Amino acid sequence: MFGTVAMLAACAQAPATTDDTNSAAASDFLPCMVSDAGGFDDKSFNQLGFEGLSEAADALSVKPITVESTSETDYQSNVQNLVVQGCSLIVTVGFNLAAATVESALANPEVNFAIIDNDADLNFDGKVDAPNIKPIIFDTAPAAFMAGYAAAGYSKTGVVGTYGGMQFPTVTIFMDGFADGVAYYNEQNGTDVKSLGWDVASQTGSFTGGFAAGVESLANAQGLIDQNADVLLPVGGPIFLSAIEAIKSSGKDIAMVGVDADLYETDATNKSLFLTSILKGIKVSVSDVVTGAGEDSFDATPYVGTLDNDGVGIASFHDFESKVPSTLSDELDAIKAGIIDGSITVESPSSPKQ
Amino acid sequence: MSDKTNTPPVGPASKDGSERWNQTLRDITGGSAMISILAVFVALVVGAILIAFTNEGVQETAGYFFSRPTDLLQAVWDAVAGAYSALFQGAIYNFRADNFLTAIRPLTETLTFATPLIAAGLGVGLAFRVGMFNIGGRGQMLIAAGAAGWVAFAVELPAGIHLIVAILAGLLGGAIWGGIVGLLKARTGAHEVIVTIMLNFVALYLIQFLLRTPGALQAPGSNNPKTPAMLPTAVFPDLFGPRYNLHAGFLTVIAATIFVWWLLDRSNLGFQFRAVGQNPNAARVAGINVKNVYMYAMAISGALVGLAGVNQVLGTLTSGFSSGIDAGIGFDAITVALLGRSRPWGIFAAGILFGAFKAGGFAMQAAEGVPIDIVVVVQALIVLFIAAPPLVRAMFHLPTPGTTRKPRIHSVKVRTSNEVVAK
Amino acid sequence: MKLELRGITKRFGALVANNNISLTVESGEIHALLGENGAGKSTLMNVLYGLYIAEEGEILLDDVVQKFAGPGDAMNAGIGMVHQHFMLVPVFTVAENVVLGHEQTTFGGRLDLSAARAKVREISDRFGFDIDPDALIEDLPVGVQQRVEIIKALSQDAKVLVFDEPTAVLTPQETDELMTIMRQLAASGTSIVFITHKLREVRAVADRITVIRLGTVVGEASPTATNAELASLMVGRAVELTVHKNAPELRGTALAVKNLSVIDSRNQIVVNNVSFDVQAGEVLAIAGVQGNGQTELTEALLGLQQHVTGSIELDGKPLRGYSVRHILDSGVGFVPEDRTEDGLIADFSIAENLMLDRSSGAPFVKAGNLQLGFRAKFAAEKIHEFDIRSQGSEMEAGRLSGGNQQKVVLARELSRDLRLFVAAQPTRGLDVGSIEFVHTRIIETRDSGIPVIVVSTELDEVVALADRIAVMYRGEIVGIVPGNTPRATLGLMMVGEHAPATEAAL
Repeated sequence: MFGTVAMLAACAQAPATTDDTNSAAASDFLPCMVSDAGGFDDKSFNQLGFEGLSEAADALSVKPITVESTSETDYQSNVQNLVVQGCSLIVTVGFNLAAATVESALANPEVNFAIIDNDADLNFDGKVDAPNIKPIIFDTAPAAFMAGYAAAGYSKTGVVGTYGGMQFPTVTIFMDGFADGVAYYNEQNGTDVKSLGWDVASQTGSFTGGFAAGVESLANAQGLIDQNADVLLPVGGPIFLSAIEAIKSSGKDIAMVGVDADLYETDATNKSLFLTSILKGIKVSVSDVVTGAGEDSFDATPYVGTLDNDGVGIASFHDFESKVPSTLSDELDAIKAGIIDGSITVESPSSPKQ
Repeated sequence: MSDKTNTPPVGPASKDGSERWNQTLRDITGGSAMISILAVFVALVVGAILIAFTNEGVQETAGYFFSRPTDLLQAVWDAVAGAYSALFQGAIYNFRADNFLTAIRPLTETLTFATPLIAAGLGVGLAFRVGMFNIGGRGQMLIAAGAAGWVAFAVELPAGIHLIVAILAGLLGGAIWGGIVGLLKARTGAHEVIVTIMLNFVALYLIQFLLRTPGALQAPGSNNPKTPAMLPTAVFPDLFGPRYNLHAGFLTVIAATIFVWWLLDRSNLGFQFRAVGQNPNAARVAGINVKNVYMYAMAISGALVGLAGVNQVLGTLTSGFSSGIDAGIGFDAITVALLGRSRPWGIFAAGILFGAFKAGGFAMQAAEGVPIDIVVVVQALIVLFIAAPPLVRAMFHLPTPGTTRKPRIHSVKVRTSNEVVAK
Repeated sequence: MKLELRGITKRFGALVANNNISLTVESGEIHALLGENGAGKSTLMNVLYGLYIAEEGEILLDDVVQKFAGPGDAMNAGIGMVHQHFMLVPVFTVAENVVLGHEQTTFGGRLDLSAARAKVREISDRFGFDIDPDALIEDLPVGVQQRVEIIKALSQDAKVLVFDEPTAVLTPQETDELMTIMRQLAASGTSIVFITHKLREVRAVADRITVIRLGTVVGEASPTATNAELASLMVGRAVELTVHKNAPELRGTALAVKNLSVIDSRNQIVVNNVSFDVQAGEVLAIAGVQGNGQTELTEALLGLQQHVTGSIELDGKPLRGYSVRHILDSGVGFVPEDRTEDGLIADFSIAENLMLDRSSGAPFVKAGNLQLGFRAKFAAEKIHEFDIRSQGSEMEAGRLSGGNQQKVVLARELSRDLRLFVAAQPTRGLDVGSIEFVHTRIIETRDSGIPVIVVSTELDEVVALADRIAVMYRGEIVGIVPGNTPRATLGLMMVGEHAPATEAAL
């Protein structure tokens, strides 16, 4: 295809020769990023992290280096090669890269590191294992709690459901918060809304076994719909696309809760389906961390996204504003305030330990 | 052929089908070293074209090709030369390093990545020589990694002994996972391709389950599906100190190569292996127990592939592993075995070449922004060219082996007759 | 149509396959091309058929020089070929095979098979073939498949028909029928080139004989020439056609087979309640048309068949139910009927093939290690002793000629300590010189006191070697008769008629 385009365009004028070595980027700051085996087009944290990095790099007028991993033995080599390339800040994505990140950080104290969705605490002593790693983590449970409360408030059938991609803490934290939020709604309103797909006490539930849209995800969504659920929360990147398919083919009036970004905005074709979304500010936080480091203000204190600092949250109801109980928004505001001031505690086994 | 269809099946499903299958394997493994070398060369050339096409600078300059063609040529040259020199510097010797010890580091990286590829390649190659296609490398590696890993982090033993026990546990795991295939083939005639593929899934989900189960493979105190770090007593020592990743696992692979060479070329078991691989009917008539050969061969093949899994967890990635630890090596091993024409030292060389691609690929991506997929494409092209020897022969006008006297029409003739007579 | 080849020379590299060969076939003549395997007959015919281009010489049809770029040109010029290995599609019908490559279609691209059926019927009627145009090829006996090949050639108006070793796959009856057909064809004006190495057939049917040796025409002969004359022309020296043997020295019963039955993988009884004895020092030949259970019988003796009942005892020790390994170790030597499929590994060297069935212990293996030194020495000795023409013991067996391959198998089997020797179709596909060698070896083995079983579908061979003859028909032994039983009697037994005085004690 490119060949054709090139042929068509090959008659264009040559640009004037300029000695384009002025390196507009005044600084020699070089931000870099390593993906995990999902790659940068995973429609999930790799992609959001990449977008955050690109945004910051554009703002700083620098050209970042980004490398993709294809398997878990690649991580160390990729990080090592970025060090060799002279990166000043290396952002790694996901718990899978924790070991490689810590090892490289200890060996290269002059390079700064940041890791998304992990606390870089391999020995479980509650502290980051190297002084030059900044963990970027999110306390997603409270946001999911609010979404669960909202779902329970909206549900007409009295059944809501969730399922995940794989049983990772970064996935189940959503499910914990969501289920707890439904329980809290029942407690407050004396209702009996059922939450399917995840059992907080035993930490067991439904998973598709991977982070790809497909029949497994479709079957999970279909199963929940067959049990009369009218709100679905699929947690795990693109698996929500199959849930949408299941909803459309069921012909029922079923709403979805999105994760990570406000899917009402990012998936405009299906926007009518989204009750709300649980927001996780990966893009903005990565952008902040990179910008900070670019302006020579890197510090290794973990960044923990909370309701308080708007690192996590829930999106507005958009088109559902008229369909939810009129008091729901106020109740959610009160819950948010309660969580922030500590009068309501939302905890998940997967919550960040800081 | 005559009336031989009355012979009961020896193990392979139908004589006609398995014969053709065997013939294909023989054609591929019997190619000359020259074909392998030319296949690599052609693949690199095609890779260069792909690098040029995907390069931004090339795309830009192609836009005004007719007004200043030299720009395009320059851009193509820059892209290709840059990528391949990054590949070289990432895989063999880094000219830009300050001193020799740093400069030679890429070579040790290459050998580190080659280690599991050679081990698994030997396993797959051995199966080829017995006329079997072992596509179950992934499963065998995972089971071996699970077994070796568990011994390495959960059992406490004195240094040295611990390492040996962990290695043996891994080899045994791989041997069992491969041996199951041989057993099913020998006893029920199940085709090893299907069984190995299915066992890959069984192993994957079994390991994933164990990784999620506290007390099994999951690291205590963690929720992630990942094992704890291996105990230092069970880890392969570094060969050249902590500066380099190259570990003693490479020595086990050299030993494995020598073992496979001895087995195939010098032992009577290997003689029987090769006899069955070349002509199972004649082997059976000669009193060789073909069923046992299938079982032994698959068990040894599985153990060799298992050695790759052992090297992954005790050498390359000692900080704990998850279900992706096989890193696709089980499949890359097929390529390595084909490129090495299933000869032990050929596989050794092919494994090092692929290790170099792997190590150099990181540098190519980091330094030149060449997508890592290009390396995968080049590897795939190598397989393509090796699997189609006539294509490479045609490209370089090489003679077809064995046809100096008998032109091709003869073989066509014989095959047709088989079909007709042995209805 | 008159066919003339003038000075055909065809080279493959340094090898001259055809050297200045000239040959004339008159209209309506059956011209036999006689020569050993590898003499250059097939090459010459492939030149004629346009598959090869000759370096020198020309082809003339009715005195017009032809230029063939491929088989299509040859066919159009009126040359048809009946291949040794049929070029038929097994799952197609007779009519479909006959039109294959010359399909006529009606409107819309539909195959017009009715014309093809009519053609098949017309040619069948002309030669009295009785072939159903809608029968599937795979359901037809081999002899009938060959007739389909002939019909196929005739349907394309072939005026010159080339038969390439046409009798190799036929029963004696089918062979006789083919001879009749060839005469009919010749009588109707077709010129026939008949390629063979079987002397008897040549003398029975040919009008003229051209003998080729090493790519060169070495002489012409008339059908009245004796076998010995023809054979010495072919081989280039005087050949012993009859096997000289003394009366057998019987040394008591060695092999006793009682009530042996074999059921094959398709649940058919292929050997039915067979009993016989073989004495040490005699040759028992098992005769019969191919496919009457001889193959399965020998395989049962070697432990290669799964479902066998009855008893097999060698020197009083039971053999049935034991592994092939055990039976070989008990002293059974075996020459399988399909040499390339079951007897040899083509990609293995001669040396490796010579140790093929001795890979589990001394002297070729010690402590799991191959004894390469011993093997090389052994191979060199056997190559010398059995006169295996090769480029050394490391040469691949697949590159040897058929005769030399069989010598490798014989050398391997006869070099063990034998208590019984079973040779199935020991000379199938071999040239005259090799046949002589194999027969001599078999008689030597007999004379050394070993019981020998020879399975053969060639009556000549059976009569030449046997001290007693067991004839098999449909899985049963019709009778066991003395070695000097007349051919006619044997022929009747081969189609299932009991011999007049069976079980004649020797």
